Amino acid sequence: MRKSTAWFIFALTLFVFGFGFLFPLVLVIKEGFVSSDGGITFKYLIGVFRNPVYVEGLLNSLRLAVGTTLTATLISLPLAWLSNRFTFPGKKVVNALLLVPMILPPFVGAIGFQQIFGQYGVVNSLFGLDVDWLGEGRWMGVILLQSMGLYPILYLNLSAALANVDHAMDEAAENMGATGWTKFRRITLPLIMPGFFAGGTIVFIWSFTELGTPLIMNYTRCAAVQVFDALKEIGSNQFPFALVMVMLTVSVGLYLISKLVFGRQAHAMQGKAATTFQEVKLTGGKGLLALTPFVLVIFFALLPHFGVILTSFSAPGGWYGTVLPEVWTTGNYVEALGHNMTVSSIRNSLTFSLLAVLFNIAFGVAIAFVVVRSDLKVRGLLDGLAMMPLAVPGLVMAFGFLAVSSTLSNTELVRNSDWLKHIVDVKTNPAFFLVLAYSIRRLPYMVRSAVAGLQQTSAGLEEAAANLGAPPMVSLRRVTLPLITANLIAGALLAFAFSMLEVSDSLMLAQRQDFYPITKTIYELFQLIGTGKFIAAALGVWAMVFLAVTLVGSSLLLGKKLGALFRV
Amino acid sequence: MAVSVSLEDVVKTFGSTRAVDHISLTIEPGELFFLLGPSGCGKTTLLRCIAGFHEPESGAIRMGDQDVTRLPPHQRDTGMVFQSYALWPHMTVAQNVAFGLEMRKVGKEETAKRVQDALRMVKMTDRAEHKPNQLSGGQQQRVALARALVIHPKCLLLDEPLSNLDAKLRLEMRTEIRRICKEAGLTAIYVTHDQKEALSVADRLAVLNGGIVEQCGTPQDVYLNPVSEFAAGFIGETNFLDATVRRVSGDEILLETPMGEWTSSRSGKGFSEGQPVRLSIRPEAFRLGDPPTGTVNQARGIVHDTVYLGEVAQHQVRLGDDGGSNVKVFDLNPRILARDTEQEATLWVEAQDVVVLNRGNA
Repeated sequence: MRKSTAWFIFALTLFVFGFGFLFPLVLVIKEGFVSSDGGITFKYLIGVFRNPVYVEGLLNSLRLAVGTTLTATLISLPLAWLSNRFTFPGKKVVNALLLVPMILPPFVGAIGFQQIFGQYGVVNSLFGLDVDWLGEGRWMGVILLQSMGLYPILYLNLSAALANVDHAMDEAAENMGATGWTKFRRITLPLIMPGFFAGGTIVFIWSFTELGTPLIMNYTRCAAVQVFDALKEIGSNQFPFALVMVMLTVSVGLYLISKLVFGRQAHAMQGKAATTFQEVKLTGGKGLLALTPFVLVIFFALLPHFGVILTSFSAPGGWYGTVLPEVWTTGNYVEALGHNMTVSSIRNSLTFSLLAVLFNIAFGVAIAFVVVRSDLKVRGLLDGLAMMPLAVPGLVMAFGFLAVSSTLSNTELVRNSDWLKHIVDVKTNPAFFLVLAYSIRRLPYMVRSAVAGLQQTSAGLEEAAANLGAPPMVSLRRVTLPLITANLIAGALLAFAFSMLEVSDSLMLAQRQDFYPITKTIYELFQLIGTGKFIAAALGVWAMVFLAVTLVGSSLLLGKKLGALFRV
Repeated sequence: MAVSVSLEDVVKTFGSTRAVDHISLTIEPGELFFLLGPSGCGKTTLLRCIAGFHEPESGAIRMGDQDVTRLPPHQRDTGMVFQSYALWPHMTVAQNVAFGLEMRKVGKEETAKRVQDALRMVKMTDRAEHKPNQLSGGQQQRVALARALVIHPKCLLLDEPLSNLDAKLRLEMRTEIRRICKEAGLTAIYVTHDQKEALSVADRLAVLNGGIVEQCGTPQDVYLNPVSEFAAGFIGETNFLDATVRRVSGDEILLETPMGEWTSSRSGKGFSEGQPVRLSIRPEAFRLGDPPTGTVNQARGIVHDTVYLGEVAQHQVRLGDDGGSNVKVFDLNPRILARDTEQEATLWVEAQDVVVLNRGNA
């Protein structure tokens, strides 16, 4: 590609990231360090660590993150290993179903989870118990829900890593006399460590700062919820900014450490594994045995969502202290579609997500092109920049966008222009910032999938087109894009699904009801006494069905390559 | 249709390596020209400069009267056959071949006809609707060739086109490529590291080494009259022996060698008395057995190892000089064999087969 085009894309990326990523972060950091009289101060930061409530919140968040990462590992490692070594009846189906929880919003699942494990829920009714499962152990519920939603990311990473281990490495180990557990511990595990850390880092950062699940589970003593609650006093209280900064530091620090320790070159094998494992075929009882853990995990991962489905079909107040709802109805769906808040929220979410995805496709392909096909020296930097949003929690970004919006709204220019107000003032219209937030935060997935596609497509194919007289844009349209379509669709679907389910930005930035996205509406409905929870469940089911279709579609299109999207 | 291609002082650098170092060459219209050299010699870089995938830092590339140095690849009208074939996997064979015509806005009917003709030329008509991944390596190679030919390019560029084929197919395809190029009257530039390919197919060839042209000429010229140790050693096999010039008289050079006084009946131009030189003598130029009377260039040696190949035996002969030099001798229709035993023999060479080279430019 031409140098001038490459530089233009690089400059454009710098501009977009400067405004949509660095500017918000700088404002968050500034707010945390600058006192009311304009001087630099550490008093807010120190204040956070002096305040026992904040310290408890941070420690609890750490506990959630560690617990979630460990649980997700315990779930996904054995499954990934089984799937790598064996084939058995039903494997394809369970492999696809295993990924479904990824796009089922855990915070929606939390509604069903409470119906099942609540004091007057299914489990107690079934066994005639009266245990308050979610009383003191509420945090364990959050960990369970989060690991059930996040284990697919680890599973995809571990599967990809295992698939990349050259069979010869394994045979060499056996040749030297190492078998079974020793072989796994000394050879396989070290080789898949980079893959594990790549996925583990994402899971850790995600669960460390997850807002939706603890919020619905009413687990208020963690940092994310504390930050969200403090939103009401923003402007008068600088401590939330300092707290957000601590979360940012932990996340970025972890990301950088995993980058340093397991840089892309660590344990790099010569491209793909030269010899892959011949999967051992299991039939009959053995096949069933291998299938069982998959089915169990899928069952437990989907259980909260079954709870949501049941809730959505239960008449308000008709499911209390019984195993199943006593009064069935489809009225919640009717009401959900009739409710003015829900209809507009579906329209809003679709619009915002589609715009974000369109932006991401164009921008992601352009960035990937420079990264893979240009000889620009800064292309590594560009790649790193495009991946950075993975390291920054959504909560932090949301806070940053709020700060950007209020900063810009206070300028003379904006105050005098209705037109500009509609763009930059989230209180007037949050559409611009929501689309920007959705785009920037999901861009890494798009870039990764486009990069993967381009790397699999030999540059010779484009050169052949140029050689035969195709100008660059024609070559892009006729040769490159058709060849990476599968990657683009998968990346786009994923970015779309995640945008539809986005919690932090949606909850914080959308402040007017007519601009609520689905997630904010579900949260608001859930807060309503009486019918709210049931309508929220119906809306959640609608979103889940919609997204399940998108993900199944993308996994069919991309198969195993889906794992490449979740590399840090 | 066919045009000349000329390179004038072309330079291309990657980082700190100079891949192409002031190369000038002229390829005549309709000529089948080879760029030959070991990997890393700059031959592929040079070809990609001609195709327009690299822009040289300095120098000029001309096709016919047109200076194409700064022209992007898609405006150069060259047809390139890639080493990996680069067939588009999402298009059928026919669509692959038709692509270049489509870019040239050729009408539907003519396109169909020309695609048919091109596929017939490479004997692939029955595979027109197949996808590339349903074809064998040799078939893909033919399609790649048809795709490059169908646009009637100003110049056909071939980048190691046969390196991914097995030995038998390689032999078949190299005569095939020559036939097609000659039939179409194309100017073609062919990159390879296989000297046999170059010798058997080229009209002319250039031997490249370290980004410069060591020698350029017809295959026979380069083989028989190498101008440097590299050219002599890279094309065919040869024996190098050290010697000193004793006297130059017209077209004869009298040489002082460890085997005694030898002569070379090559041009003595550029050599002076007392100059240390290196002799290059092809293994097949050596003869074993009693030399005809009056033969100057002879030596006693011991045949200590033989590879017997039927029509030829490849002997290793230790010369009876102090340095203990070892030479390789190809003996056609062999009589002497030394597989497990050593055998004394006399070996001789005609004066016209002794090539005298400057020392130290290997």
